[in-house]
Amino acid sequence: MTAPADNKPLLDVRGLTIEIDTRRGPAVIVDGINLTVGKGETLGVVGESGCGKSLTMLSLVRLLPNKIRVKGGTAEFAGRDLLKMSKSELRQVRGGKIGFVFQDPMTSLNPVMRIGDQLCEPLIYHRKMNKADARVRAIELLRLVGIPGPEQRIEAYPHELSGGMRQRVMIAIGLACDPELLIADEPTTALDVTIQAQIVDLVKDLRKKLNMSVVWITHDLALIAGLVDRVAVLYAGTVVEDAPVNELFARPTHPYTRGLLASIPKLSDERASRLSSIGGTPPEPGRRPKGCPFAPRCGLAESVCHERVPVLEPVAGSGGHRVACFVAQRQMMEAA
Amino acid sequence: MAAEPLIKVENLVKHFVVRLGAFGERGATVYAVDDVSFDIFAGETLSLVGESGCGKSTTGFTLLNLQKATSGKVIFQGENIVSLDEKRMRPYRRELQIVFQDPYSTLNPRMTIGEVVGEPILFHKLATKAELPECVSRLLADVGLPARFAQRYPHELSGGQRQRVAIARALACQPKFIVCDEAISALDVSVQAQIINLLLDLQEKYGLTYLFIAHDLAVVRHISTRVGVMYLGRMAELATREQLFSNPLHPYTRALLSAVPEADPELEKTRQRQILTGDVPSPLAPPAGCRFHTRCPIAMDKCKAVVPEWREVVPGHHVSCHAVGMETAG
Amino acid sequence: MTMTPVNLSSTVADDEPPVSLWRDAWHRLLRNKLAVAGLAVVILLAFVAVFGPWLTPYDFLTQDLSARNQAPSLAHLFGTDDLGRDVFSRVVYGTRTAFVVAIVVTAIAVVIGVTLGAMAGFFGGMFDRVVMWFTDMTMSVPNLLLVVVINASLKTPITAWMEARYQATLNPFYRETIWVDFLLVFGSMALISWPPYARLVRAQVLSIRGRPYVTAARALGLTNRLILMRYIVPNAIGPLIVSVSAGLGTAMVLESAFSFLGVGVNPPTPSWGNMISDGLRVWQHYPHLLAAPAAVLGLATVAFSFLGDGLNDALNPRGSK
Repeated sequence: MTAPADNKPLLDVRGLTIEIDTRRGPAVIVDGINLTVGKGETLGVVGESGCGKSLTMLSLVRLLPNKIRVKGGTAEFAGRDLLKMSKSELRQVRGGKIGFVFQDPMTSLNPVMRIGDQLCEPLIYHRKMNKADARVRAIELLRLVGIPGPEQRIEAYPHELSGGMRQRVMIAIGLACDPELLIADEPTTALDVTIQAQIVDLVKDLRKKLNMSVVWITHDLALIAGLVDRVAVLYAGTVVEDAPVNELFARPTHPYTRGLLASIPKLSDERASRLSSIGGTPPEPGRRPKGCPFAPRCGLAESVCHERVPVLEPVAGSGGHRVACFVAQRQMMEAA
Repeated sequence: MAAEPLIKVENLVKHFVVRLGAFGERGATVYAVDDVSFDIFAGETLSLVGESGCGKSTTGFTLLNLQKATSGKVIFQGENIVSLDEKRMRPYRRELQIVFQDPYSTLNPRMTIGEVVGEPILFHKLATKAELPECVSRLLADVGLPARFAQRYPHELSGGQRQRVAIARALACQPKFIVCDEAISALDVSVQAQIINLLLDLQEKYGLTYLFIAHDLAVVRHISTRVGVMYLGRMAELATREQLFSNPLHPYTRALLSAVPEADPELEKTRQRQILTGDVPSPLAPPAGCRFHTRCPIAMDKCKAVVPEWREVVPGHHVSCHAVGMETAG
Repeated sequence: MTMTPVNLSSTVADDEPPVSLWRDAWHRLLRNKLAVAGLAVVILLAFVAVFGPWLTPYDFLTQDLSARNQAPSLAHLFGTDDLGRDVFSRVVYGTRTAFVVAIVVTAIAVVIGVTLGAMAGFFGGMFDRVVMWFTDMTMSVPNLLLVVVINASLKTPITAWMEARYQATLNPFYRETIWVDFLLVFGSMALISWPPYARLVRAQVLSIRGRPYVTAARALGLTNRLILMRYIVPNAIGPLIVSVSAGLGTAMVLESAFSFLGVGVNPPTPSWGNMISDGLRVWQHYPHLLAAPAAVLGLATVAFSFLGDGLNDALNPRGSK
């Protein structure tokens, strides 16, 4: 399932650091994130709100909101650093080689443009297609994402479509230029569960059909279990665990990942049994603890955890499973 | 389960009239809740689930008389509370409370936490001014917050903490019954678990009854005694938790359950899912007959014309579907 | 029963005092340099308006025909006009005129606008429709036209009546035409200024009325009066403050514009507007007669606009929850 190890990854983010201006001055919000996405691989990026998962992805195409900026690191995409590209090169990448799908399809689509025109725009701009060809391709794309009657729907305005249909249109726009990488930022969070299932199936299907890499950002571990090849768990702007999906669910190693998995209600639970929950809340930017960011909420924390920041290190005896935790690493050393 | 229900909902209907067109010349009716009946028993957690626009939240609001019911009855302590005006409703308000979804707009941003929690106590004269600080700290302790939070303002708190305050405000009235309207939906997973546990703890401690409105079936499965499934303003199925999750009868319930992802990659890869096609029709023009027939995998001709009857097929298990029981009957 | 253990250390630091939204907004305002500059100018002008007569070396009406049209000097900071009156004193007195008109007009407009808007928003229905119809109608009449019509139709009868009263009573009060000016200016300007406040407050009330904390207050059984006073008004007041700050500046400009056109405050009562009007006729020879009132009017407008922008950013911060 994972990309062959000898291949260079399609996307290679190293030491990405992002800062935000707060009332008390600049504060680190993404702290030296390392992420890779192989060709044809689907990576799930999981974390709670404010963990920096969306900012990380937005920073790749330099679409960060005001008062938030990249402070350091590199992000190589197909061998070129996205963070150092010129504006015109970057425009070729945005919507061209990297497609985006956002959470809220209502505000991400331009309400006064027909969806056909919104679909044709990247084709005309990136692919230099003429209007007629772009229209043919747009209809093809709408059919690809499972919109019935694409010849008629292409004339529709966004408000004339349902939430699920709008998200399909967003995906069609993301796919318009055959991107090598599709970044989907909580694409189903605003949707109902039956519609969510439709969208997940659609992306699964398209990924195979188009042989593209996908980054799926979500807060919902259950959702990505059957969808992705590999999972990166983010906490307070750092990757705390990174593993193939089966490995992660079978052997969650970081206390945060374990806590997260344990707090999801399960089929087998007795009614009204207490869920194991992680106490407290993630640190605010500017109030990051000195050591491991999870240490204040961690039941296993030792004195070293409050002093130093752990780095991602491979978990012994498993391919591609890495974790950033002093305690887990020591326990593994002792077990070995 | 007591024989006499705490709250009896009978044929509750809520239609909204919306004005369309530049001058509001065209009126259209939103069939938000249509002929819904169920009982809520003391001490239980009854959940209402369904997709957006199914009328589950409207049911909760109408039941509390926060929106005027179009018709139908809600019997609480022998009184049909939905027929009461605001003044006569006031004594019942204290006993029937609500917790909302969005932790960011659920608290008045200009009031301190102490004022938020203290207001209902003073208003309903449940304590004197002198006793108030102690009452407030006790309530905050109940929801797991330290007393010093009374001086804080809502914007200084995290989402989960605000939701705790909202629960404390509801508890301040010493209610019998709380509507939790998507009370945990906007929270992060790890915080969700904290609030679920808190709700369960408080239910035990004060013998509370919950109407838990949610769209997350995994959570509903975890905390409910009974579960009602709504679709486009009508109740599709109502059963005990065990009945509903092990033996769902309505095709919509089955589709809903099958759409819920499980946190298990092996299971997810092999699992056969029944995925509904299409979208929920507009509540402005709900389909005739059974409202689910446009998406139902087993719809028959009869479903398009005749509204299925709301019937109890097994003790405690209600469903409205023409197809249910056909195999055994025929 | 065990309570769920909660660790709260990560959000609120114990050593920090609680911060109300008002105080938060005040801090944000103080960090905005332009807004602080605007506020400083506004305070300075207000001070001048209040204590003006004690600050100026001359009376604004005293003519000194031996010192006409003098250029600015130490004796006359802004020079003198064609009647030998001290321009600095007149500008100072004009500040008083501008502030009195702006404050009184805005106060009347706010009282009318807030009352009508809040009631329309809270009660809705027929009342709402009538109020909004009335608001739209007022807004659709060109401002200047309305003021000119009021002036033309009311000024003569009122002046005549005052003159008659003077003949009858010989009370010198009835000879003070300045009151007629002010009455007409206040009345007509208030009449055209209230609709925006009504609309703003109505929209605020409508949006706040639907927020969960108001519904929660209803669910607690609180009375309408309590909900209005403790939940709706305090939350609607932020945008109103912004609007009032901008409105004060607008009212000053309006007063000057009307006085400039001769339908506002009339000479000899100094107003920036009628001074500009006088100065404009001779500006090629005596530019200071135009420059002084125009510069102060410009300063006041810019100050109120900076303050308004700053208040807007401070009270309605974007992106904060």
